[in-house]
This record gives sequence, structure tokens and C-alpha cells, in this order.
Amino acid sequence: MLKAKTKSQIDSIFVYIALIIVALFFMLPILWVVRTSLVTKQVAYQIPPDWNAPVTLDNYFTIFRDNHFGGYFLNSLVVSLFSTGISIFLGSMAAFWLARQKKWKTGLRVSILSVQMLPAIVLVVPLFNVMTNIGLKNTYPGLIVTYLSFNLPYVIWMLISFIEAVPEELSDAAEIDGCSKPQTFLHVVFPIIAPGVVAAGVLSFLNSWNEFMFALVLTGNETRTIPVAIAAMETQQGVQIAELCASVVVVIVPVAILSMFVRKYLVQGLSFGSIK
Amino acid sequence: MNKRSKRYRQIQLKNAAILFFPAVICIGAVVIFPLFYSLVLSFTDTNLRARGMGTFIGLENYITALTDEYFLKSIVTTLQYTVVSVIAELCVGYMIAGLLNKVKKGREFFFSIIIIPMMISCVAVGMIWRLLLHPELGIVNYLIELLGGTGRAWYGDAKYALGTLIFIDVWQETPYMTLLILAGLVSLPKDPYEAARIEGANVFQTFQKITLPLMKPTLIVATLLRAIGALKTYDLVYVITKGGPGTSTEVMTYNIYKQAYQYLNTGRAAAMSYILLAIILVISIFFVRIGQEKQE
Repeated sequence: MLKAKTKSQIDSIFVYIALIIVALFFMLPILWVVRTSLVTKQVAYQIPPDWNAPVTLDNYFTIFRDNHFGGYFLNSLVVSLFSTGISIFLGSMAAFWLARQKKWKTGLRVSILSVQMLPAIVLVVPLFNVMTNIGLKNTYPGLIVTYLSFNLPYVIWMLISFIEAVPEELSDAAEIDGCSKPQTFLHVVFPIIAPGVVAAGVLSFLNSWNEFMFALVLTGNETRTIPVAIAAMETQQGVQIAELCASVVVVIVPVAILSMFVRKYLVQGLSFGSIK
Repeated sequence: MNKRSKRYRQIQLKNAAILFFPAVICIGAVVIFPLFYSLVLSFTDTNLRARGMGTFIGLENYITALTDEYFLKSIVTTLQYTVVSVIAELCVGYMIAGLLNKVKKGREFFFSIIIIPMMISCVAVGMIWRLLLHPELGIVNYLIELLGGTGRAWYGDAKYALGTLIFIDVWQETPYMTLLILAGLVSLPKDPYEAARIEGANVFQTFQKITLPLMKPTLIVATLLRAIGALKTYDLVYVITKGGPGTSTEVMTYNIYKQAYQYLNTGRAAAMSYILLAIILVISIFFVRIGQEKQE
């Protein structure tokens, strides 16, 4: 008995050691970039690295002062927030209607899901022409509307399963009491699925925040989002390691914080509900 | 009765109009219409040098694309990239999920560290690794040389560039596999394992006869979703190699992007993007078929 216990203890020590190695493999590259963003430009270039370099926030001041990072940050924020907001507003209603729809059930859902699988490049080519023709290239509305192409189906798809978990008797009762369907949705169903709405909102915000290809083609100097700005940094000024690291940290930090809040919903959110 | 059902239908229609149609109109405007427009473009010689639509040229764009050496090579590169990275992610992701499934204490802690790479932007991931793997200024070559190896131009040398990209993809997307596989592992029933233990089955037998069949649906879905993701890869390639050196890392999306915005042939790029779409469709159908077969 005692022996068996020691053996399983040794086993679990090995499991923990393996997990620590795995965690380091995923964490160290990011931590190295964080470290490099916090040293002076000269130290950032040094190989072998100076392990005792003093910490400084200069690089962050530099990118916000000289590289217009404040503006890019704002662009990313505006586009992501508006696109997510519109998607939640329209998408939650559509999800409610779809969840209670008996006719063409499978067909409608499969078509919503298949939009998720479209590669961006298929839409980039035509949308670039359309946006150029109607003068929405290099504007906020142009990019916000474009981001609906992935955010809206995503939100609808995610919320359908949350709404299906709400007992149908509940909304039936409200309708018998004289609520119309839209009222029922707003006053009865929406408050219940609020956590799901928050999760879907956060995930769709992150999708927009990280998006690159549409932003690359559809933005100009004034509307450039952070990912596009980061990708352009190197070509403009050669390798400026310290500033580049600081800007990478700026794009990562909101993601790291937000993803902690939605950890519980990640499986559902990222497998499109196919794995529960 | 007739009157009532007519009224009922009116309410139904009104509900659909308020709840469903706004979203449908939006999706129609930014997905369905562009898809249709792009299909039309793919049969014309539209380009960005001239204004407006080009003339109808039938299937010529498709024929030119499918006889274009570079486009065909990009299809091969994309498939290599997809197959190798997805298999690696499946294996490594399964192992990590297995480790996490073994522990109770600290699972949440390790889990929240491991998922970070998949949440952050591909552009950031590309930049992180570009800096780490920089031939002279990167820490990786320094550490390799410290251990007695030789540093290489990981993404500047055509011999290693595709492998390097695959490695970075594995770093970023393995957590995704782990996430989905772990979700499958935790929900496995306990009874079959109890029975196997009593029967005296060894670890491999248990895995092959119980775990694998039960996990099959999860594994198929995870593999399909990752494969679609890998086929769509663009950001990493753009940030790290821009398709180079030469065309050694030029994946389909990048080749199409070049056709549209470097050579300005939008019509031809549209046709090429439809070929990519067809490939994704075929692979998806293939996986769905496997999924259905195994359930019977």
C-alpha cells in the first residue's frame, strides 16, 4: 500500500516536471520580449545579453510619442468595439430567432457555420474593390462593416447554444402574458444569457483586435490598426528591437487580460460548439 | 381558421423581420455579395490598372492559374505546411492534454499559461519569433552556440524557412489542440477503464481499444478546424518571410495576395481564391465523411 503511494507520488512529480517544461516552452519567448521591451535600446541589441540591465519604460514612451502608437491603439479599439457591439446587437436577436426556428433548422445553421470557414483572402479581393468604389477604404466604417463578416456569424453561432439552454416554457409563458417575441427576447431571454453574451463579445473583440489581412488592405495612415503598424515597423526603420518589443507587448497585454475572463467559454467558443 | 393562420403568419413574418433580417442583410452585404462579386470577377480580366470591370474571358483565369508553376508550387507548399504542422500539433497537443488530465492541483494554473500563445495576434507571434531567431541579434542562436551547436539563418535560408514557419505555427496552435483534446479527455466515461483494469489490459491496449475510439469525434473535429486554419495561414508568412527566400515559403494565400496587389490582377486573384476555397471544401467533406463512418 505504502509502496503504491510512493510510486504514484514519483509519477506525479514527473508529470509536474514535464508540465513546467511545457509551460516554459510557451512562456519564455513572450517573457523574453517583455524583458527586451524594458531595457534601453543599446542593451536590447547586446548579444550575449546583459542580464543585469536596469529597467526602463523609455521604449513605451518612444512608441507612443514618435510612432503614433496612441493613434493606432485608438484605431484598433474603435474598430474592434464598434464591430463587436453591432455583432452582439444584431447577432443576439438573430440567434434567438434561429434557436426557436423549426423550419430549415440544419440548413440555416450549417450556412452560418460555413461562413466561419471562409479564408479572408476570398473576401479581401472583392471587398477591396467595393470599398474603393463607395469611398469607404481607409475609413472606420469600412473596416467595422468588413469585420462584421466574421464577427456576426461567430456571435450568432455561439449564442444559439446559450439560448437553446434557456427552457422554452419560460419564453412561452412570457408570450402568453402578452409579450411579443422581441419583447420576450429583451426582457426574459437576454438577461439569462448575459454571461454568454459577454463571452461571445470578448471573443469577437479579440478576433477583431488581432485581425491582420483586412486591416492591411483596407486601412491607410490614419486608420491603421496595431497589427498593421507592427508589421510595418521593421520595413520603415530597420530593426529597432526595443521599440518593436514594446509594441508587441502593447498588442498582447489586453489579450492576455481579457482571455482570463473567458477561459471557461474557450472550448465552446473556439470549437464552434462541436466539442462541449 | 384561415383568417387566424393568416394572422399567425403575419406575426411570424414580423418577428423574422425584426429579429433575423437585419443580421441577414449585413451578412448578405459583407459575405454573400462579395462572394458572388468575386465569382463574377474570376471570369473577367479585371485588374487594378484599369478602372471598372474587365471583359468576360470565361475560364481563362482558372486555366492560367492551374498552369502557373508558382501557383501550383504554392499549393504544394500550403499542403506541406498544413499536413506537417497539424500532425505535429495533434501529437504534441495530445501529450500536453494527457499531462494536464493527470493532475488536479495546478491544472488551471498551467492551463492559463499554455493557452496564451493561441490567443495573441499572429503578427505579434511572428515578430516575437523573428526577433528570437534573428541570425545575429537573436537569443536562440546565442543559446545554441553556447551549447556548442551552430546557429543558422532560420528564416533567411531556403533550406530551413518552411520548417521554421511550421515550428512557429506549432508553438502558437498546439495550445488550441490541447484545449479541445483536454475537453474531450475530461468528459470520458470512467466505467470502461474500470473494466479494462479488472481484465488486466495494459496501457497501450487501453489506449487503443478504449480511449482512441471514444476520442475519435473530438480528434476529427480538432484536426479539421486546425487544418482549415493552417490552409488559411497568411499573417505569419507575411510577417516572417514574405514568402521567401525565393518562393520557399509562399503559401496559397500569399501567392493570391501578390497576384492581386503586386501584379494587380484582381480577376485572376479571385479565380485563385476560389481554387483555395474548393480545396478547403474538399478537405472538410473528407473529414466529415470520416467522422460519420466511425460513428456507425
